[in-house]
Amino acid sequence: MTEREILMKKLASYQFMVDDLQLYLDTHPRDKATIEKMRGYREELKPIMKSYEEKYGPLFADNSGNNKWKWINTPWPWENEVDE
Amino acid sequence: MFVYEKKLQYPVNIKNPNPKLAKIIITQYGGPDGELGASLRYLSQRFTMPLPELKATLTDIGTEELGHLEMIGAIVYQLTKGLTEKQIKDAGFEDYFVDHTTAIYPQSASGSPWTAAYIQSKGDAITDLHEDLAAEQKARTTYDNILRFCDDYDVKDAIRFLRQREVVHYQRFGENLRILTDKLDSKNFYAFNPEFDKKCFKNQMKKR
Repeated sequence: MTEREILMKKLASYQFMVDDLQLYLDTHPRDKATIEKMRGYREELKPIMKSYEEKYGPLFADNSGNNKWKWINTPWPWENEVDE
Repeated sequence: MFVYEKKLQYPVNIKNPNPKLAKIIITQYGGPDGELGASLRYLSQRFTMPLPELKATLTDIGTEELGHLEMIGAIVYQLTKGLTEKQIKDAGFEDYFVDHTTAIYPQSASGSPWTAAYIQSKGDAITDLHEDLAAEQKARTTYDNILRFCDDYDVKDAIRFLRQREVVHYQRFGENLRILTDKLDSKNFYAFNPEFDKKCFKNQMKKR
């Protein structure tokens, strides 16, 4: 795996925890311990997203930089390293 | 609204092209139990759902299914990238190729184009939740069947992730059904349509 793939895997793992717990909370809205847990993962996710975006480009279009529109040139999710 | 995030829910990194495998996996893109149908089914049903838990679950699972649709597209794309004419012929991929070259098109493994007839949005929460529970199991079986023909680790890894999500979604829809029936008359859940006959919920029945 390339360094980008390793960081993306980490990012996807934390994002997954947030999303899966969110789904659980939809049917267990009063489960305070899980709300706390989800918040914890969301906090841990923030710096990972920041570091990914700094190294490899924006995850969201509105975060594509001031001078150069990076959105169009950074890798698309369906492209793997063979394309790069 | 929806905001695009430039990442897959679970990374897909396939090294070896395999058009034969692509032709069966495309069924989870646009086949009868695929991710396109799943997302449109849930995102359509949610509008008339009666309880907050149900609206939230259908919105969030429907959104996740759009992410799964993207993952299947990525798998098929990577399995059919850089093919030679010989590879296309040897894999029996010519029939798909003549219609779509190597583009991603929503069809079943046997070539039927996606149709809204694959899904239902019935306007009765009990009925729709049973449809959704069945849909998750049908998708799980399809992934199990796909895994029988997968000998590539990278493909298996992504398909196993998707298969597991069907099981989790089934669990959540089961909870939705329980949440709904807990609020209905236990002597006869089917006396009313909980999306149309607003007075069927226990707290409202007392007022009558």
